[in-house]
Amino acid sequence: MSPTHEARLPLAFIPPGSEVRLAALGDEIDPLQREQLTAYGLAENRPIRVLQQRPMTVILADEVELALEHAVARHIWVEKLALAV
Amino acid sequence: MTTSASAANAILLVGHPNVGKSVLFHRLTGAYVNVSNYPGTTVEVTRASARFDREAMLLDTPGVLALPSRSDDERATMRALLNESSRCLVQVGDAKNLRRTLTLTALLAELGLPMVLALNMHDEAAARGVVVDTAALSEELGIPVLATVATGGEGIGELTHGFGHAQCAEALLRYDPEIEADIASMAEAITRLAPHPQIAARGLAILYLGGDSVVADWLAEHAGESHPPEGLPSGRAQLENLRKNAVDRSDGDLPALLARERTEAADALAASVIQRAVRSSPLLSQRLGQYVVHPVWGVPILLGVLYAIYQFVGVFGASVLVGLLEKDLFEGILNPAFTHLVNALTGPGWLQDLLVGQYGLWSMGMTYALALILPIVTTFFFAFGVLEDSGYLPRLTVIANRLFSLIGLNGRAVLPMVLGLGCVTMATLTTRILHSPRERLITIFLLALAIPCSAQLGVVLGMLGGVSFTAVLVWALAMVGILLLSGFLAARLIPGRRIPLVTELPPMRLPIFANVLKKTGGRLKWYLIEVIPLFLLGTLIMFALDKSGALPAIIEAGEPLVAGWLGLPKEASAAFVMGFLRRDFGATGLFAMAHSLSPIQAVVGMITITLFIPCFASLMMMVKEQGTRVALAMVAVIVPFAFFVGGLFNLLLRAVWS
Repeated sequence: MSPTHEARLPLAFIPPGSEVRLAALGDEIDPLQREQLTAYGLAENRPIRVLQQRPMTVILADEVELALEHAVARHIWVEKLALAV
Repeated sequence: MTTSASAANAILLVGHPNVGKSVLFHRLTGAYVNVSNYPGTTVEVTRASARFDREAMLLDTPGVLALPSRSDDERATMRALLNESSRCLVQVGDAKNLRRTLTLTALLAELGLPMVLALNMHDEAAARGVVVDTAALSEELGIPVLATVATGGEGIGELTHGFGHAQCAEALLRYDPEIEADIASMAEAITRLAPHPQIAARGLAILYLGGDSVVADWLAEHAGESHPPEGLPSGRAQLENLRKNAVDRSDGDLPALLARERTEAADALAASVIQRAVRSSPLLSQRLGQYVVHPVWGVPILLGVLYAIYQFVGVFGASVLVGLLEKDLFEGILNPAFTHLVNALTGPGWLQDLLVGQYGLWSMGMTYALALILPIVTTFFFAFGVLEDSGYLPRLTVIANRLFSLIGLNGRAVLPMVLGLGCVTMATLTTRILHSPRERLITIFLLALAIPCSAQLGVVLGMLGGVSFTAVLVWALAMVGILLLSGFLAARLIPGRRIPLVTELPPMRLPIFANVLKKTGGRLKWYLIEVIPLFLLGTLIMFALDKSGALPAIIEAGEPLVAGWLGLPKEASAAFVMGFLRRDFGATGLFAMAHSLSPIQAVVGMITITLFIPCFASLMMMVKEQGTRVALAMVAVIVPFAFFVGGLFNLLLRAVWS
């Protein structure tokens, strides 16, 4: 049972309770805000747990709880981890 | 607290926001600075002598999300790093977020300053199953690494001992070879053209290539002084050319590349020194934190919190405590005794009037400050301290985000606005946590216009609470409506775009009673020092205006506006004159004549005075943050707007509420 990677999805579309892995920060995100996200620890391959999607996307990355507006979460690409059969 | 550090004796506390720098600062110096459970509490550098070495000066710097600096508070920290003669640098990090902590370490290590790493909040890390091998980390970094719990005083002795063993840290990484070549060229040029007395040229080169504006200014200033041989560009131009070439080679992405490589290095190091136990379920504090921002439960919880504050401040503080102090103590005992004493000593005359007359220093100034305002601000500061330390306020940014998007802001602006309910002056300074000049301008304008400070809020709650809950509700809805409408218009008039919200939510914590009390005490001390002299000065001015005959003339002149347009008794003009000094002083003037006001007059009076310009100290802060022209423009808009809106509500309420 090793994890396999699925297609990239926007973080804003991931249901609460899911575990995903960060694939990329989209170019649509303002460069300063991209730096800010990197500083919060959102780097490629980092595991992320989605806590809720309304009224904002709230995630747990390591022990950092972050709230992101959908305008940003839509451009954060993640890969949902699924267990191989 | 304000003397500058002597040569190479400054110990700088640096770190991410909300990792406990200010608590540690208090532990190490005994000096109290405001500390809270949300990022951005410290927006300026604070200094104090160290307890363990009176020669040493400790500096508490604003939290940096990352370096190179991008925001005003990060720039303040960068300026401290450049301009202070540092004995050593103490990076305060969050033990449960070691990756993030080490990302900043990766940059600080390049500065070539002796360093110590304090891994704070290791109790919270342990509760989450995170264990850091501090000995291994210390060996890897080549600096002392100490585990601390600043709130509980754990590890403070070891930390102060560690200061004596501070070392320059080992570099965490070598960047990509092409970037390394650019760093080396830049460092060589800085060494030649603008060497810093303490900071390594390599560290400055990395910051400059990463786009740090404070370092850029410092280098421009110092390299500009060097005179190149004829035919060569100036020192400043040489550095700028080097940077431009390096940025061009990276397709303009150099700052991001540098940051990403530091993150990767921090990841690798963190993974080698962390042990993480598998946790089966989230902590209670995490679950509570999620309920607070829950799409269904978030708003009812907010309403519950607001109602609890109303009960504690508006009912208990403004009714019960004010009743005890004003009616029983001042009117029942102190004022008659003081009046009797003054009569006996001076006899009838202007001195008696000055002390215990209608505009007497004791009967008006001290009674307003101590009997009416003090109990209200005490209860407010206490309630506010509990909210601050609980971690609720950052979650309020999530709840408020959609509402604030209507006025061109994001939920982050709720923090200065809520702080403004404590003190508009401090809140104006706190707008530095906002990311764009546009957001700051709109927020400062709204603070000046529609956010009442604690003293004024208490008076409003006390006065309108005495009328009816409906009166409080009408006033509150009016304020929210005006805030949103003004913000909506301001956002359309001020050019620029809205920045979507990205914010950290610190853990919910049970407030420590002693810290809340200490914070309340600190704020009350500041209040008494600032407010009492101003209340006395205001009373003196009112006394002089009254005795010279000017006040009756002002009251007569203001009659068409105050009595005609606002529908208030003409004597209320005096309260608006007082409001020019402090609007809570003016509100208190209206409070004192509450018995002669109808419910509509009470609401109209409170709406008008709430929209008035804030106190003189706030005005000075607005000048400091936005310049004289902008501040005066705001005053020129706010004063007529306050009367205009007050009059509209007078007409509206008379039409629907008679």
